[in-house]
Amino acid sequence: MPFDASRHEPLNPPEPSSALSGDSIVVLDAFMESLELVGAKCDIVESEYEAADRLVAIVKDLSATKIAISDSELVRRIVKVAGIEAIEDASREELFSSEIGITSAQSAIAETGTLVLESGAERHRLVSLVPPVHICVLPARSIRGSMAEILELADTDAHRTITFITGASRTSDIELTLAIGVHGPGKLYVIVIKDQ
Amino acid sequence: MSDINRTPETFDQNARAALADPVLHIALRNLADSFVVRRRNAIASVDDWEGLRERARAIKENTMLHLDEHLERFTENAEKAGATVHWALDGNEACEIIVELVRAKNARMVVKAKSMTGEEIHLNEALEKCGIEPVETDLGEWIIQLAGETPSHIVVPAIHKTKKQIADLFVEKVGIEKTENVDVLTQTARKILRERFAQAQVGISGVNFAIAETGTILILENEGNIRLTTSLTKTHIAVMGIEKVIPKFADLDVFLKLLPRSGTGQRLTAYQSLITGTKKDANDIGPDELHIVMLDNRRSRMLAHPVTRQSLACIRCGACLNACPVYQQVGGHAYGSVYPGPIGAVITPQLFGLSKSKQLPYASSLCGACRDVCPVKIDIPELLLHLRAEIVDGSATGPNERPTRKLGESIAFRAYSRMWSRSGMYSFSMRVARTMQTFVARDGKIGKVGSLISRLVPPLGAWTAWRDAPVVASKSFREMWRDKEK
Repeated sequence: MPFDASRHEPLNPPEPSSALSGDSIVVLDAFMESLELVGAKCDIVESEYEAADRLVAIVKDLSATKIAISDSELVRRIVKVAGIEAIEDASREELFSSEIGITSAQSAIAETGTLVLESGAERHRLVSLVPPVHICVLPARSIRGSMAEILELADTDAHRTITFITGASRTSDIELTLAIGVHGPGKLYVIVIKDQ
Repeated sequence: MSDINRTPETFDQNARAALADPVLHIALRNLADSFVVRRRNAIASVDDWEGLRERARAIKENTMLHLDEHLERFTENAEKAGATVHWALDGNEACEIIVELVRAKNARMVVKAKSMTGEEIHLNEALEKCGIEPVETDLGEWIIQLAGETPSHIVVPAIHKTKKQIADLFVEKVGIEKTENVDVLTQTARKILRERFAQAQVGISGVNFAIAETGTILILENEGNIRLTTSLTKTHIAVMGIEKVIPKFADLDVFLKLLPRSGTGQRLTAYQSLITGTKKDANDIGPDELHIVMLDNRRSRMLAHPVTRQSLACIRCGACLNACPVYQQVGGHAYGSVYPGPIGAVITPQLFGLSKSKQLPYASSLCGACRDVCPVKIDIPELLLHLRAEIVDGSATGPNERPTRKLGESIAFRAYSRMWSRSGMYSFSMRVARTMQTFVARDGKIGKVGSLISRLVPPLGAWTAWRDAPVVASKSFREMWRDKEK
């Protein structure tokens, strides 16, 4: 073989993480663009209050009444501000009949529009999966540029399940025709909060 | 077409039947346009695709050279995190282990996420035999399970079925009103399978990558059924071939760039689940138990030779199937194996015995399209030739089988070789051929199938049994050159 892979560093060395300035604006734009490419809706808001407004608008749009949330502090706060009635720690039956699931994400990847959910940080495995709509609220500073950075930071001992989510559930199993919302959510909304 | 009686031994018949099947051609018509074009567009979004392929191959090559160490390390780390690793020498052992695990949970039904390794060991049959109902949850797998068929593609298992056939199947098996609306069909599957997910206690999945450094397994998907299978159940059983292990977590970056782009033309599939052992806190979401079943099934034998070792680099993306002019025409079932297409033609003989799949290494024109698209740079034509040589030498067949090359053929090839390695003899033979061919050539071709000449001249006969030999030109290039010089 031409070279020894074990001696090579990852292709994209992790860049130092930074708060919102300079590079991070570029990263945020790239994240939004990637999300659009996979058919997810992305809103960038200035504050948690604005995020709450956006949430109210989405819920109203979908005329949803049954909403499940994860145990994320951020999500709890925003749902409270929005005045939305939501179930935390929903049972399996409640989850199966929920219309929307709201979670946060521990980080995200700009180059692919990917949400990174870590099981040790939040109970979001089912809330982000079972209801037909998934809304994810996350701070802008948690977005990284590349997959390589995320892999570098991953703590597989603390987070026994790490889930990457890129767009809605999909399939091409029937005549290679795209169908959305097979087993997971058919709609994915991402709300990025700048001031966090 | 029914699956029964189609084996790798009958590729020739299977392929002829497939070519004569107009419905199959409707089903396969989108393959080249859709997957091939999507892949091309997706790889354009990577700066150094060739470099990535080189790296992936180097990682796999290095891993294979120390596979035992990496497997040990993976096992140690996975078990440290609460998983149980089981070792299976062959498919039967793997099935026995899995059936026992399911029985221990008193489960009468299991939800299954698509796994080619599960198909390889015929897990569904083994479960059914023991009174356990396997429910396939991947849409394509579910469709072919309803139809009682086997997958015909590594990534899109029901590619051989048309929308119309699937619509009819749903009417018959599910009892819905007939519709060819893909969204309605998909939502019907979602609804039915949700009920099964709600009841399931045990889930069975495959594995795409197993990371030695952390003991993590990674599974990629688009539908979400793998996430449901691995989050809603109490026991998760993951079955993997030993070649799925990679050394480092950071290596995933390379493979996550290559696999989705090669397989479905996506930058990334919708979901990746990275599972390391069991949950830390009993109150957390997710299974209480994770069992990883490691399958050898002759894989360790492939390690022995540098040519066959390449086969273990395969990441099951399916790109070689989509690119293959043979697969595009005959589909997957013609190969009579769970692994169809170019990669299937090299893996099947190695997994299930060359003497049982002698036709497969010949199911290729050696055009090299598979090699060009392979994300881990497996030289499939080289492997096909290697296997063909083994067939001809008789070295790969059982000890009681005789070499397959005929004596007459051997002598003829030796004579040709002696004659054509000298330029004088070569020119002479061409002049003779030019004179002789006037009696046998038709429509610019020599020895059409079944003609007298093809039966009289032994190697030519074998050659022209499947192809036409063009007539020798009236003047050779050298003669034309000489005439010009004059």
